[in-house]
Amino acid sequence: MEAAAIHAEHAHHHGPPEANRSSRVEPQLLGMLLFIISEVMVFGAFFTAYFFIRVVNGDQWFPFNGDELPKLVAGVNTAILLSSSLTLHWAQTSAKNGNRFGLKAGMLTTFLLGFTFLFIQINEYIHIGFAPHDHAQGSIFYGLTGLHGEHVFIGLTLLAIVTVRAFRGHFTPEHHGGVEIPGIYWHFVDVMWIVVYTTIYIV
Amino acid sequence: MPAAVRHAGWTRATTFTVLGIAFSYALSLGARAGLGYDPVLDGEAVLQISLVTVPFFFLVGLGLFDYWGYYMSGRPTRPEDHSGHGAKSWKSYLYPNTDHKVIGIQYTVLSFFFLFVGGLFAMLIRAELAQPGRQFIDANTYNGVFSVHASILIFLFIIPVFAGLANFVLPLMIGAPDMAFPRLNALSFWLLPIAGVMMLGSFFAPGGSFASGWTAYAPLSDSAPIGQVFFTIGVQFAGASSIATALNFLVTIITMRAPGMSFFRMPLLVWANFSTSLLVVIATPFVAASQFFVLLDRALGFNFFDHGQGGDVLMYQHVFWFYSHPAVYIMMLPGFGIISEVLAVKSRKPIFGYRMMAFSLLAIVALGFTVWAHHMFVSGMQNWIRVPMMITTAIIAVPTGIKIFSWLATLWRGVLRLDTPMLFALGFLTMFTLGGISGVMLAMIPITIHVSDTYFIVAHIHYVLFGGSLFTIFAGVYYWFPKMTGRMYDERLGKLHFWLTFIFFNATFAPMHLIGLDGMPRRVADYADKYAGWNLAISLASFGLGLSTLIFAYNIIASWRGGPRAVGNPWRGLTLEWQVSSPPPVFNFDAIPTVVGGPYEYGVPGAVHGVFADQPPPVVAAGAPAAKTPTDE
Amino acid sequence: MAVDSRSRTSRRTIVQMVVVGTLASIIGVLWGLYIDWFPVQGSTQARKIDDLWDLMIAFAVPVFVLVVTVVLFAVKEFRMRPGEENLDGPNIHGSTKLEIVWTTIPAVIIFILIGYAATILSDIEAAPANAAQELKVDVYGQQFAWTFKYTGADGKPINTTRLYLPEGQSVKFNVHSKDVIHDFWIPAMRMKIDAVPGVTTSYRITPIRVGSYPVVCAELCGLGHAVMRQTAYVMPPAKFNAWLASKSASAAAPAAGGGGSAAAAPAAIDAKAIFTKGNGESVACGSCHQLAAAGTPAGGIGPDLDKVLAGKDAAFIKTSIVDPQAEIAKGYPPNVMPPNFGQTLKPAEIDALVQYLVKSTRK
Ligand code: HEA
Ligand code: HEA
Ligand code: HEC
Ligand code: CUA
Ligand SMILES: [Cu+2]
Repeated sequence: MEAAAIHAEHAHHHGPPEANRSSRVEPQLLGMLLFIISEVMVFGAFFTAYFFIRVVNGDQWFPFNGDELPKLVAGVNTAILLSSSLTLHWAQTSAKNGNRFGLKAGMLTTFLLGFTFLFIQINEYIHIGFAPHDHAQGSIFYGLTGLHGEHVFIGLTLLAIVTVRAFRGHFTPEHHGGVEIPGIYWHFVDVMWIVVYTTIYIV
Repeated sequence: MPAAVRHAGWTRATTFTVLGIAFSYALSLGARAGLGYDPVLDGEAVLQISLVTVPFFFLVGLGLFDYWGYYMSGRPTRPEDHSGHGAKSWKSYLYPNTDHKVIGIQYTVLSFFFLFVGGLFAMLIRAELAQPGRQFIDANTYNGVFSVHASILIFLFIIPVFAGLANFVLPLMIGAPDMAFPRLNALSFWLLPIAGVMMLGSFFAPGGSFASGWTAYAPLSDSAPIGQVFFTIGVQFAGASSIATALNFLVTIITMRAPGMSFFRMPLLVWANFSTSLLVVIATPFVAASQFFVLLDRALGFNFFDHGQGGDVLMYQHVFWFYSHPAVYIMMLPGFGIISEVLAVKSRKPIFGYRMMAFSLLAIVALGFTVWAHHMFVSGMQNWIRVPMMITTAIIAVPTGIKIFSWLATLWRGVLRLDTPMLFALGFLTMFTLGGISGVMLAMIPITIHVSDTYFIVAHIHYVLFGGSLFTIFAGVYYWFPKMTGRMYDERLGKLHFWLTFIFFNATFAPMHLIGLDGMPRRVADYADKYAGWNLAISLASFGLGLSTLIFAYNIIASWRGGPRAVGNPWRGLTLEWQVSSPPPVFNFDAIPTVVGGPYEYGVPGAVHGVFADQPPPVVAAGAPAAKTPTDE
Repeated sequence: MAVDSRSRTSRRTIVQMVVVGTLASIIGVLWGLYIDWFPVQGSTQARKIDDLWDLMIAFAVPVFVLVVTVVLFAVKEFRMRPGEENLDGPNIHGSTKLEIVWTTIPAVIIFILIGYAATILSDIEAAPANAAQELKVDVYGQQFAWTFKYTGADGKPINTTRLYLPEGQSVKFNVHSKDVIHDFWIPAMRMKIDAVPGVTTSYRITPIRVGSYPVVCAELCGLGHAVMRQTAYVMPPAKFNAWLASKSASAAAPAAGGGGSAAAAPAAIDAKAIFTKGNGESVACGSCHQLAAAGTPAGGIGPDLDKVLAGKDAAFIKTSIVDPQAEIAKGYPPNVMPPNFGQTLKPAEIDALVQYLVKSTRK
């Protein structure tokens, strides 16, 4: 009942007791998954805006008002982003197997592919010929692709960290959570792009 | 560089804040010059950029990202030496700390500060409304005052204070040494003062503070003066804080329960925070997005809400309420958890129908996502959405009823200790029922068509938020006060606080039902003469309500400083937080306890919830000698 | 032992409680039905909505009384008495039977209420049998005044800021907004709907009582939200038709007829009254502007005219009234002063007002 007395004796104890693990799931992994749920909801809200403008209002979608979306360029860009998921997977398996070259090369390629995607995206903005304030369609287009672009940027930052650490010799087959967890985020960014690409450019 | 600037702390934070402002100027000047805008220096542009970037400079300066900085750059991270754990003096509370107990107190105290600020604004509202016509403040200030009143109380009081209380007790309750992500926890806390400074600072913006209500409907918020941006961006920080905390709670609850603590052995407070956190993680991004839309419209000329350009005005409301209806349960479910703890301990009986209590929480979470459009019954949205939403809304009364009735059954045949926490719990039972019933009336579309946007809504809001949430918060603060501070509060003052609050609360908010039904709209600084009598009465009562809160403040401050020392388990509770000293040891437990039974086995002699390895089973069950009376140290 | 005396009380307590609870519910319901909660019933819709309210009272009061009674009796019977400090209650975990009861009964109540509410909803929104005869009025919300558009006999539009309605005839309002969201509400009629930019919303009412009723803006629309009030006049159909006809006839004339049948004698225009109260159609200037001569207090919405008009000439004042956007007073937002005074005030009234303002602000 008066635990204080007992605890006082243990003043030499220098850290908290090890927490009990009540679930097989890694805390970091679970945290990342929950964070991704939140992120999906942010996209959900932007898709709601899209839904209202395109479906509820029944406004015309591109091509519209003389403005068109560069489906093909964006398609190529999609392929670039998707291949980055593959190279990332390669890096991750390498990390698991202790293949340092695979890890480093995989991370570097992934980063470069992601960077290329972002570069092409910005280039697309410059040449697309309409601005967000021209019409609500433009707002949605820039809103959704911009939101995604921002996530690519965050993802790239994470990848950059992993790459730097990989080159500094971090990560072992036993401890590669630092590659796994940012990796999940990157895969999420890729999957999200497929949804964005399909709804904005294709449908 | 002087050490004070190099090392994390307030000096560095101040330096970085100044740097942040300089950076915002540079970015704005650079961007505008580059894009050929005229004039190159635009105060509003600088302000908007500062509001977004300066907080990060401040946080980095304060040292919240130091560890991650080391980690990310691949430099060796110092192993956690736990020197940050525990508070050495009151000054420790002014610095980032990763101890969940310190954070819990930081959260709670800061939130209560905002209760008083928000309450002071309420006093201003009531002073202005005491008579028709203009008394003290002009229409613009009035609109600003109630907008800030509501935003502060919702985003900086109710939501964070629940997070604060849970931060303190939840890890103890589940037998965890800390939260799953202590550094994230510290960050969540430090986002709050930023949001608070923004919302209050908006009064200094040219054109006054944001004045479009806490709902900030577009297109009014699109075209409002710059003060609106303080809300738009402030909400992002408050929202990010709640998402981070919710994520932390979920991971902690799922992965860090003590051995033997199955889901159905968790105290209901843990269940309540689990459900709330689910709501937060899923719903809060929507309010963030709704404010992104407004910000993009304002700052970059997007057309989300400009119908002339194809935008959709009602979309704002759908997105906003898809968060803000669940938000009202975010503001209530943790309170349900507190009430379950208090009622079980104070009636010395197990919670009646424990499983249904847990399931009804989940049912409310699920239903809560399907009812948002009941705030839009008169908004001009598609007519067909209304009846389905009326049905789902009204059905929420069923799981909520299950909870109310189970609590009543818990009381029945118990041995009720009518001390302050219990009084607030009983006050909650009755007052929340009233607020809930007026909610069900609002769900009935034909009634809402008449009373929407009237004082009837204001009455509903305060019955559920004050009579509901705030009563549970008072109950919880009194209940855990001994645990959090190691001191006992003054019972007589506590009871006085309850009775004055209870009486003045009803005198203030009950008449609002009448004037609302009789046609007085909300959000007006001036009203027709026929409502003058009631409004004067309401205003007088509300000052009484404000004063009653000062008793609480006095009691808490005086008892914290000089109250009698509290024993570890003054209420003879079974849940784990009561099995350690008051305040708890720095690392909560020497060894993680093992849970061997339900959390509320009152009435079974010798029953325990958890056993401690290095300690004989605690003798707190029935028949044990009473805990030392608070007065003998 | 204390435990026994406790368990024996509870059966008798339940009987007592049921009696007290029933009595309190009956009194509460009767009282709730007796209280006059609403403004006068101005429309058939109001009658139906008030009926639904009565049903709500009939269910809500007993539910509330139930909870309060149980709490009070529990406190009375089971509070801890001296000597019981160490006593625990019985270790009861639940009762499936009870749980089923208190899930089912509220569910049944809820479905009764929903069913009735849905019926009322379709009643109050139903189109009248002879839809052709329904009067249609377009309502325009604009910061901070309402404009009502009728169709005259000749098919030409008639704009007014006074709402005239025929008694006993169904009226459909099509509600529009020119800027932000407003809400068109006539409390006596019980109906309201938002005026949403880009969307036409609507509702219908059938007025049943001659008289004048406030029209209120019920959605926060900015600075002047509180003063966005006008009046609806319900008149016998014959009188209404006469008004409509007179409006149509004079629609071409620039001095479009003023307040209904009120004498249009141009002789004595009371500028001060127009300033403080409006001419019946126009919004009162004094609700936004401070003016010492008229005794209107500082509202803070519009500039203090004593200050800003000092030394200004008549032409400036006239433009400021007819076209407030022409020049925006420093420190005040645009689009706040209603732009429709050119229509709601007769030219003679505007002139009188201008003279009045010149006179009263001259130092
Ligand atoms: C803590 C916050 C909280 C809570 C818990 C609730 C709970 C509920 N609310 Fe409330 N609500 C608000 C906060 C809250 N609300 C706020 C802040 C607004 C205004 C926002 C704004 O515009 O600014 C609002 C507005 C609001 C509206 C919109 C009104 C309008 O603007 O036109 C509606 C309409 O349906 C509504 C309904 C309900 C319902 C049905 C519940 C239900 O969950 C209540 C359920 C509980 C009970 C019913 C009581 C217990 C049950 C029993 C004892 C069982 C038996 C009961 C019956 C058979 C009836 N609320
Ligand atoms: C948790 C939420 C919460 C809480 C606790 C309160 C507390 C109070 N509220 Fe508030 N209120 C809201 C949430 C809340 N409110 C919301 C969401 C709205 C809607 C806003 C909108 O339309 O956008 C609203 C709107 C609102 C209005 C309607 C404004 C309008 O529509 O024009 C009014 C009017 O009376 C009001 C009054 C009060 C009063 C008197 C209190 C009292 O309980 C306050 C008690 C006072 C204190 C706790 C302060 C402590 C005392 C002192 C510091 C010193 C005492 C000083 C003196 C006596 C002079 N509130
Ligand atoms: C709903 C509020 C409102 C009402 C009603 C209103 N005004 Fe104004 N008025 C304003 C505001 C706000 C301004 C300042 C912005 C502007 O110049 O348009 C203003 C500006 C003016 C100005 C110009 C002052 C200057 O220095 O530029 C005059 C003159 C004026 N009003 C006269 C009147 C008169 C006369 C009436 C009634 C017939 C009236 N107003 C009704 C809000 C109102
Ligand atoms: Cu128009 Cu409020
Ligand atoms: Cu709601």
